[in-house]
Amino acid sequence: MNNNLLIGVFPDEDRLVEAFEKMASKGIKPVEVYTPYPVHEILEGMGKKTRISHAAFFYGLFGALGVLGFLYYAAVISWPLNFGGKPFNTFPSFIVVALVATILIVTLLTLFTFSARAQIYPGKVVEVVHPGATDDKFVMVFDKTRLGDNETVLLQIISEYGEIEK
Amino acid sequence: MLMYKTEIRGPLIAGDKSLKQISEEIIAPIEAKTPWWWWGAFLTSLGMLGFGLYCMYLTVNSGIGAWGLNNTIGWGWAIVNFVWWIGIGHAGTAFSIFLLILRQKWRTAINRAAEAMTVVAVMCAALFPLLHMGRPWLFFFIFPYPNTRGPLWVNFNSPLFWDFVAISAYLLISASFWYFGMVPDFATIRDKAKSKIKKAVYGFFAFGWTGSSREWLRYEGLSFVLGGIAAVLVVSVHSIVSTDFAVSVEPGWHTTIFPPYFVVGAIFSGFAMVLTLVTLMRALYKMNDFVTNSHIDAVCRILIFISLIMGTAYLTEIFIAWYSGSEYEMYMIFHTRIFGEYAFQFWAMFIANALVPQLFWFKAVRRRLWVVFLISIIINIGMWFERFNIVITSLSRDYLPANWANYSPSWIEVGVFTGTLGLFIAGVLLFFRFIPMIAISEIKSVAKYNEPRHDHLKHSGHE
Repeated sequence: MNNNLLIGVFPDEDRLVEAFEKMASKGIKPVEVYTPYPVHEILEGMGKKTRISHAAFFYGLFGALGVLGFLYYAAVISWPLNFGGKPFNTFPSFIVVALVATILIVTLLTLFTFSARAQIYPGKVVEVVHPGATDDKFVMVFDKTRLGDNETVLLQIISEYGEIEK
Repeated sequence: MLMYKTEIRGPLIAGDKSLKQISEEIIAPIEAKTPWWWWGAFLTSLGMLGFGLYCMYLTVNSGIGAWGLNNTIGWGWAIVNFVWWIGIGHAGTAFSIFLLILRQKWRTAINRAAEAMTVVAVMCAALFPLLHMGRPWLFFFIFPYPNTRGPLWVNFNSPLFWDFVAISAYLLISASFWYFGMVPDFATIRDKAKSKIKKAVYGFFAFGWTGSSREWLRYEGLSFVLGGIAAVLVVSVHSIVSTDFAVSVEPGWHTTIFPPYFVVGAIFSGFAMVLTLVTLMRALYKMNDFVTNSHIDAVCRILIFISLIMGTAYLTEIFIAWYSGSEYEMYMIFHTRIFGEYAFQFWAMFIANALVPQLFWFKAVRRRLWVVFLISIIINIGMWFERFNIVITSLSRDYLPANWANYSPSWIEVGVFTGTLGLFIAGVLLFFRFIPMIAISEIKSVAKYNEPRHDHLKHSGHE
């Protein structure tokens, strides 16, 4: 493992959050935080944003238009069939297929987007920073080179709320 | 979160557990030696599945003439079972999605089992329309692809095609929803496993999950999107199944009540099956601390409510048949169903779905696990009779008495159904054995809503 990394391990969510907030007030931010379940203070505090729901909206918009366009093409342009004199473009009954197919498109594309953006995919080889992070430990990782003078303050905060992983 | 400290709900997790205990106790059945009863049940279910496969072979080999169908009753047990399985398959997503939207934290103990059950039940369901095609090897004709037959497209106005789209979408979506929920738990098993093989296998399925904030952030975004969109799907899938019946002009089918009636019925049978599974989880795997009396209580109360809706729907059907003044509707409801040849099936449905679940009003009933288990089984049988009632009776007595016919299934039809029961039981047993049956990361995230364990809580703004 990289020697420049400093790892703080915390026993529960509350201590993690308190330590995180204290560090933030001193201008220290961890490189990454590993938790057994999502901790919202951390997700907000790390300052990253996800635009996955915006992406999903556009998948849905273009998916719906695409499916309706395809149904129109198949039923009106490519091979119109006369069902008892009804119009070829039976829009109301296209809605059913368009709705369900759009949901499928949104789900699959959003999953792929998630997989690509969060780097979660089958066969990924992972370097586990601390095996407890998926069990009962809350782990913060710092880059020593970026800490500068703050290192002593940081070490003090970590030992107050948790412990330093050697 | 004072809501959960009132008398209405007990604690979400009993026994004041640490996070480590939570992971260890949920993973314990995966780490433990396979119990003898598991092998017994598994071999029995494989036997049932084997018999079912033999019956499917006979069906495909000689055509659906091997079933008890005739010209009048073209939809027999196959469609009864199809609708029944699809209904059961509704609970998983209903549980996860509706309770997620309603912010019901108690769902965390049950959603994993419900979703697993969904995936297996929908697979069982999908078998029936496939076999009913008669020539299942040509099933791909139903995909709208550019072909050399014209191109002759499928009929986009047909509910049977809507159904195909809905079922395939539902299977794919509920399976991915279930799987992505398990990724963090597979990572937990990977990091706790001692054997190298186990580490590698669960590591592969964990997709490289580490629990970093960047992963959780997007994971939450993903659940939000999937949750919102699958809620629409749950409602639409069974509405579409109901249009298979409702758009055809048969007495007893051609009613506007069908879509909501089917959706509620589906959720009803699904929740009953969830109750069957969680009572088994408690009895066989001692998951009492996670699936507490309060969880069982909550599901029972929901079932009372849904059962009342079911009863109302049955009475509405009867009332409208009379109120419409249509002699065909009246004949169907009163002469064929309530007092006629199929009275047994009608009353079995009515008693099991509308009356028996009302026993859940009594605390003494909700507290006795074996009674709850028994009632959940009765509801499932009742819901099967409901589908029988809908599919068979309407077809057997339509407008023209010359067309009237009766129906009884052949042993091959019964065998195919037995096969799907075997598939379902085998699937559930494999789930119990190899997959954490409770969502570990989700249950940890609600652990803090139990009684506060230390004084840090009051500083951190959680109250």
